Order: sequence, then structure tokens, then C-alpha cells
Amino acid sequence: MTPNVLRMPRLSDSMSEATIVAWLKQPGEAFKRGEPLVEVETDKATVVYEAEADGMLAEILVTAGGTAGLGEPIARLSGENGDDALTEPVTAVPQDAGETTVSRQQVATPAGVGGQTGSGSPRARATPVARRAAAERGIELHGLTGTGPGGRIRMLDVLRAESGAPAPVAETRELKGATTVVPLSTTGETIARRMAQSRTEIPSFEVVAHADLSTIVQLRADAAELAEIVPSVNDFVVKATALALRAHPAFNSSFVDGRPEQHSRVNVGIAVATEEALLVPAVLDADLKRLAAIAGETRELAARAHDRRLSPDELTASTFTVSNLGMFGVASFTAVINPPQVGILAVGALERRPVETGTGGVAFRDVATLTLTSDHRAVYGADAARFLGSLRRLLEHPLALVL
Amino acid sequence: MTLTGEPNIGAETGLYLDLFRAMVLIRGFEDLVQSLFLRGEIYGTTHLYSGQEAVAVGVASVLEDRDRVAATYRGHGHALALGVDPQALLDEMLGRATGVNGGRAGSMNINSPDDRLVGSFGIVGGSIGAATGVGLALKRVGGVAVCQFGDGAVNQGYFHECLNFCAVLRLPVVFLCENNGYGEYTPFQDVTAGAIRTRAEAMEVPAVTVDGMSVVEMRTAARRAVDHARGGNGPYFLEAVTYRYVGHSRSDPGAYRPPGELDAWKERDAIPRLRRELEEAGVDPKAVDLVHGEVEALLEELERKGLEAPFPEPRPTPEFGG
Amino acid sequence: MTTTIDFRTALREALDEELAGDERVVFFGEDVAVAGGVFAVTPGLYEKYGPERVFDTPISELALAGAAFGAAISGLRPVVEIMFGDFLTLVMDSLVNQSTKYRFLTEDRVSVPIVIRSVVGAGGRFGAIHSQMPVSWFMGVPGLKIVTPATPGDAKGLLRSAIRDDNPVLFFEHKRLYGVSGEVDDGLVPIGVARVVREGTDVTVVSAMNGVHEALRAGELLAGDGIEAEVVDLRTLRPLDIPTVLSSVAKTNRVVVVEEGPLTGGWAGEVLARVTEEGLGDLDDAWRIATAETPVPYSPPLEDAFLPTAERIASEIRARVL
Repeated sequence: MTPNVLRMPRLSDSMSEATIVAWLKQPGEAFKRGEPLVEVETDKATVVYEAEADGMLAEILVTAGGTAGLGEPIARLSGENGDDALTEPVTAVPQDAGETTVSRQQVATPAGVGGQTGSGSPRARATPVARRAAAERGIELHGLTGTGPGGRIRMLDVLRAESGAPAPVAETRELKGATTVVPLSTTGETIARRMAQSRTEIPSFEVVAHADLSTIVQLRADAAELAEIVPSVNDFVVKATALALRAHPAFNSSFVDGRPEQHSRVNVGIAVATEEALLVPAVLDADLKRLAAIAGETRELAARAHDRRLSPDELTASTFTVSNLGMFGVASFTAVINPPQVGILAVGALERRPVETGTGGVAFRDVATLTLTSDHRAVYGADAARFLGSLRRLLEHPLALVL
Repeated sequence: MTLTGEPNIGAETGLYLDLFRAMVLIRGFEDLVQSLFLRGEIYGTTHLYSGQEAVAVGVASVLEDRDRVAATYRGHGHALALGVDPQALLDEMLGRATGVNGGRAGSMNINSPDDRLVGSFGIVGGSIGAATGVGLALKRVGGVAVCQFGDGAVNQGYFHECLNFCAVLRLPVVFLCENNGYGEYTPFQDVTAGAIRTRAEAMEVPAVTVDGMSVVEMRTAARRAVDHARGGNGPYFLEAVTYRYVGHSRSDPGAYRPPGELDAWKERDAIPRLRRELEEAGVDPKAVDLVHGEVEALLEELERKGLEAPFPEPRPTPEFGG
Repeated sequence: MTTTIDFRTALREALDEELAGDERVVFFGEDVAVAGGVFAVTPGLYEKYGPERVFDTPISELALAGAAFGAAISGLRPVVEIMFGDFLTLVMDSLVNQSTKYRFLTEDRVSVPIVIRSVVGAGGRFGAIHSQMPVSWFMGVPGLKIVTPATPGDAKGLLRSAIRDDNPVLFFEHKRLYGVSGEVDDGLVPIGVARVVREGTDVTVVSAMNGVHEALRAGELLAGDGIEAEVVDLRTLRPLDIPTVLSSVAKTNRVVVVEEGPLTGGWAGEVLARVTEEGLGDLDDAWRIATAETPVPYSPPLEDAFLPTAERIASEIRARVL
């Protein structure tokens, strides 16, 4: 490996490749150690890579929009005076851009995207001639839209990419009308892969409970006068989940190498639906934080999620995930476990329901449906029932949540 | 019309001693083949001619150099009767490079164009198709094509189409049906409507039934058939009634035969019969014994050399020859 | 010397010249002699060469094939007509089990110089069993050549080559080409050699027989869209001239094989398999256009929709090139 080649750094412990979002220096521009060099979108987040030593950007090999595998050359650098002595080799980059190592601290991801990516991303479907043409022109196949049958990349697509013409949408005349291919982003591809893996490998089962959140609703109404930031219903759920996890450590586990590993910290991941992807940042030590702190944190995490400004650590630290679709009016749903976690909680919308009161009458209460999906290799029906039961009690008698 | 020949052995003892030798060789050869098969030296399957020797030998004895024979998968007798080298024949069945077809053919496909054996045809009726075409060509040179087939073949498409074809075009083809009573494992009467000979009679082809256990009668009948065909009169049908001593193939123990049937036929065995006829005609019994001795010695040599012969080396074979 | 004649006349001239040039050549089939053939391909030959060389036969395809085989291995060079390719099912045993195997079984001693001419193809409203393209039934038979001319010039030159070839040749005449006119000269056309009949840079269209004409028409249609198709007329389907196809694909990077016959098991698959194996690096696109997996229907709109027409070829190419 030559020192004057900048290779795609490992900016996420699960990435196998990443896309250049923007070069923050231009060819010929010098930089100092610590200065931002290039913005890269990994499977988890968009990260700014900073120079590790002084130098100058000599030539860009992978332009903005292009994708490179881990360890592949993305630029040529030189000494700050233009000589060839250079940038320290990027550390933590494997010599081969092949398999990534599996990270034990899995990324907390939404129902689906997980940390364990296994082998590298799938090979682009391209014809032999297209492949050769792309290699000759230094064009990355992964960034191309294929307009051949089945979406495969053909020579014409490579030529268009070279000339900068916009990739045409692949249209076919079919019974279903014109077809528009929607290419997945790197993150989207990862999520797709992880979802399939979760569904096929984990023997999951669901338990459902209806939680009366009327007290929480009332507390929130009261809090509006007292606090600047009123915790959302979900914030209450996060706190309750954290306490329930503390009481039922089996659910605060990862299933790895054929057996559960319990974690000593309770980090509850919250699923955030951004424009491009579903991300799950973690609220660390949620059992120890006050509800107000959690409220502030979830807002801040969500905002940064939308800007793709989450750190890899924040995306890999969850020990359990909470997913809430109540704001969309969804009555209930089943979430997909994000391996290697052993459970995920799906929260539905509040519904006004008639409930028998203690005095034999009927009252309308605010009820939400909770669906807990569990990994049957790690926990069993009774365990799930007890966990969900604890959770429900905490939500229906929320004093413990606010203390 | 059934033909009974008049023995004229006395006038041709030399010839008939040769025919005797030919039959003894075929009988011994087939016994050797059976033995080698049981020892695993001959592969796949093979169909033995034991018991039917008089037919092949009698017919071959009247053929000229310009004539040809198309045989069936039960064709060793015809091959030997036509003069195919016994060593090359055995080696072919042993799968050796020195086999008459280099190991490519095996028992069921043996051919030796130089010896007038057009081929052995494994598809029932195939020999009839081949002989039809051979007859078409031989017509120009006055030759005759003989197709050998069994009683089962008279129900095959080839038989009807070709017999008609030869009759209409007056081709010089002798249709030699070796009726040994069984088509594979089934008695021929169970699968054949009417009589065999009448099929030819229906097409106005001369048809004769002859005792296939007598080489004298076979020779006489074959002479008439061949002369008829060679004379431009079209095909001739010969039904030789005979019997095979062993099962259809080596995989068949012949258990479907009624008890006593085999013994009854063995009493009519063509070889001791010819021996009697030779001695009655004045041939010295010692001369006859000598033949047995020679053949035995030859068979021992065939076996020894055959088992020592090399196997062929697999090598790329051009598809269209050359 | 070149003349402009139609396909059927070209065939008759070829037969005439070969009958004249080699007295071993004979020609027979059903209604080919006195009647001159049901497609009027061979009038006059019977009168010119007489019944020893040119003759009619009974309706006995199997006997025909057997006769051709037997004659071919006995010194003649038979040309046989099987009226419709659909009837080749009836000659299968002799053609496949006798003719194509004999050279191998005799270790190259005896070859089988037969030619079976047969009329094939759809579009004539002849229905399911008189319109088939039996090429794929025979693609897997080693030792058999399959010749498929598209033009009168190739019909004559290839039939002459076929008759002079020492191996079995299936010679297919597409029934819709009989009236097509073209230039014909005195030369022989080699078997197993394809020809580029239209040059282009954007896609290689490979076909044979009537498909070549459809491909050429498609080429005209595509030129209007700025797509230049290169059309390869295979002329022989077994053995395939893959090098010619590969040279073309090296230039165009796209190959479409147009076969009048069902997709599954068709010869187009064999072409693509070879091109993929040997020219993978040159491929940007590769596909087949063939007929549906049904028998050939009778009613004109049904049959026309069934066939790979120029419009369909052009439309598919347009969709994949643009």
C-alpha cells in the first residue's frame, strides 16, 4: 500500500463500502491534520472524515456520488509542498476491501437494519461488456442505474454515466404501466439485507397487551404548564421500557454465537423514520436518566437523525428497541427484531376505549396496544408475558417513571 | 410348402466336414462366451446362438464373395460362419483393442464388412432395414443380401415395410427367420396373429419352412432362396425352425420354458446329427474326433490370448471421421 | 456462370448434376419420380435417369431409411426424400441407430453417405403435423449433419456438397422458400460455414432458413431507427459455425438468435451456449426469439402470431438497444 493513496476509511464498524457525498478540499488544496477532508455516507450515517496528517489533495479518484469499497483508493495525496511524502496511512483500514469483521456491539437499528453485515455488499448486476467498460473508465458500477432487462447495467448505462447524462428511468411497457426503478441507497440495501436475515433466522413470536395510558395523558396535560419540554407518550414508554428491562435482564441481551449475552447497561433505541432510512439512535442508560432528560435527548437524537448527524456509537449502542407508529394512527403492528437484540416493542396509537371501572361502571380510557416481538431462542412465552406485564403496569401506574 | 432335403453328404464329405467344424466351433465359442460372462470378463449382456448353429452355417455355405449378411444381436454364429476371425470376435466381446471393432461395438453391434458381415443390429428388425438397402446396392453386381431375424421381428414395422418394399422393387434379399419359438421371454404364438410364413405369402413372396436343426436341409433351402433372389425375382422368405438352448440373453435363465422341452430339442441337436450323417456317409470317426480336438485347442488359445489382450486407450474421436 | 432461378429449381439442378456426375448416386422417395415430387422439386429426373437411379417407393418411411442406410454402406450414394419433416419420426430408428453410428462402430472403415431431404417449416397453413421444424429433435445426435439453406444459391451449392459428403446429412428445405429467387452459380457451398448477409454494428441477428429473410426485413425496419443490424445466415445448423458468430458479436456486443421452433431445447440455445462460453467478455446482451411452446396452429391469424416475424424481431431489438 502506497502512502500517497487515500483509501476509503472504516467510518462505521459494519460498512463494506460507502458513498462520497462531497469533497471538502479540491485538488491542489493543502490541508492540516484535523481539517475536514471529505464527507462520506456509510450504511449508518453521513460522516466527515478529517485529515490524519498534513498534506495536499493531488487527485480525486472517486468523485462525489461515487461509491468505493472499504480500503479502495478514493484520492491521491501528496506532501503539503506537493512532494510525494505523505499522509500517514489511514489506520483501521484492512488491506483487503473484502469481508468486514463482525462487530459485537451491534448497531441499534430500527426494525431491520442491523450491525452484522457479514460479507461485502452484493455484486452489481452488469454485463461483461459493461463491467469492462466501467473499469476502463474508472466508473463505479454501484452508483449506476441499470436499464437492461431485470435492471442490469448495460454498456449504454456506463456510457451515459461517463457523459454525465442523467440516468433514464427504465421504462417497460407492461400491464402494470411504465416501470420506474427506484435504486436503494447504501443504507437501504443494508436494511433490506438485515430485514431478510432477521425474518429468516430468528424464530420470533409476539405477545400483545393493551395498556391504559390515561394517567400518562393526564400527567402530560399537567406538565404542559410546568415544563418547557413536555415528555411525549413515547418518552414515557422509553423510560418504562428501560425500567422493565432492568427488572427482566433477559430482554436486555444480545443473542450471539448461539446464546444470549446480557448487558449491564440499559440503552433503549428509538426508531426514527427519516426521509431516506429508518435509523435507531440509542438513549444510553435510559433506566438511570430522568424522564425530562430522556425527553430532551429523544428530541435531539431525532433531529440529528434527520440530518444524518448521528455518530456510529449512537447507532450501535441499543440493547433493545422501541418503535412507535401511533402518530400515524396505526392501531397495532408487529416490528421486526433487529439482531442481535432479542426483542422489540411496537407501540400503536392511543384509542378511546370503554373500560370497566372498579365501581362496576364504564369509563372511556386512552388505551394503546403494545406488541412485543421476542426471539424464542433466548426467551420464552412466559418471559415475554411477564416483561410485557411489568411494562404495562409501569405505564398504567407511572409514578415510578417520573421519580 | 415344407422342404425335406436329400442328403448328398457322400459327394461332398470335405465340405460337410468343414461345416461340421464350423458348428462345433460356434457351439464351443458360445460356451466360452458364457463362461467368460459369468466370470465378469464379458460386459453388459450377450445373446448366445447355442442350438441354432445349423442355420447360420447352412446359409453361409451357399454365399459368394459379393453377398452380404445383416445379423441380429444374436449374431456370433453368423459372424463365425462367414469367416470372421474368432480371436477378433472374442476380443471384441472382452472389450479389447484387438477386437474386430476396437472395443467400440461389443456383442450386439459387431460388424466386419471385410467378411461380408454388414453388422449385428440390436434393434429388433434393424437387420431387415439394413439388408433392404444392401440388396438395393447389390442388385447392380448380382449380389444377394441375407437378413437374419427372429420370430419376434415379424411383428415389427421394419419387417412389413421392408418385405413389401423388397417385393415391389424386386430386391435380391433373403429374409431368414430363425424361429426359435420365443420372442425374448414370450412364446411366439402368444404374440403373433396367424402363422409366420403366411405374412410373406400374403405379399406373394415365396416362403418356405425348413428344419433348422439340419445343416443339410438348411444348405439346400438356402441355395434355392439365394438363387431365386440372385436371379432378379425379388425376395425369398425362409423360416428356419430351431431352438436356442439357453435363455434369451445371459440375464435370462429361461425358466419360462416348459419342463422337458429343452431335452426334446437336444435330442435333435444338429451337431451329433451331422456327425451321424458323416459317419453314415463313410467318414472316419477319428477324423471327426480330430475336429473336436482341434476346436478345443483353438478355444483354449482364444481364451488365453483374449484375456491377455490390451484394453483400448480412450482418445478423442473426430465426429465425422478422418 | 451465374443464373437467377428459384429455390426449387436450384435443388433440382443440384440433384441433376450430381446424378449425372456420379453413377453411384440414386434418388428415391414417395412420389418423387413419376410425379416429380409433391412440391414439384424433382420433375424430369426420372425420365432422364430411369428407374434404376430415380424411383418411387411405397409409403414406408422406415423402410426408406433402412434402404438408404444399407445402400450407403454398400457403395451407393443414396438421396432420399421424406415428404414432410414431421414424418422424420418414422425414420428415427434407422437414421439414428444405424446411419449415424455405423462409421464409429466400424472404426472409420465404412462411412454412410446418405442425404435425407425433407420439407419443413410453418407459414403455409398446413397445420400442426405438417409444419414443424424438427431440427431440435436431431441436434443431439452425434455423427449427423443438418443443413439449412436460406437462398437458392446456397440450396444448390449445399445440396451438392451434401451429396458429396461421406456422412449422413439431413437437408432441410423450408417450404416457404421454394418460390424465392436468387443468384446461383456453379460452385459448391461448404457445409458448416455461416455467412454474414447484412453488415451492421449494433446487434448480431443469427438465423437460418426463412428466419434469415425475416431478419433481413427487420434490419430494414431498424435502419429507420438508426439501428444497424448485422445478420448471420448460419446455413448449417450442425455443426454450427460459431467463430463467424463470435466475430460478429465482438463487433456488436449483442446477439439475438431467431429460431422458428419452440424455445425449449431449440438450436438457438446451443448457439447462445457456445457464444457465452467462448465470447462472454464481448457480451452486452444475448437473447433468443423463438415460437411458443405449442403446436403450430392452423388459422392464419393464429399461425402468423405464432411465427417470429420481422416486426417482432425489430420490436424486440429496438426495446433492448435503445
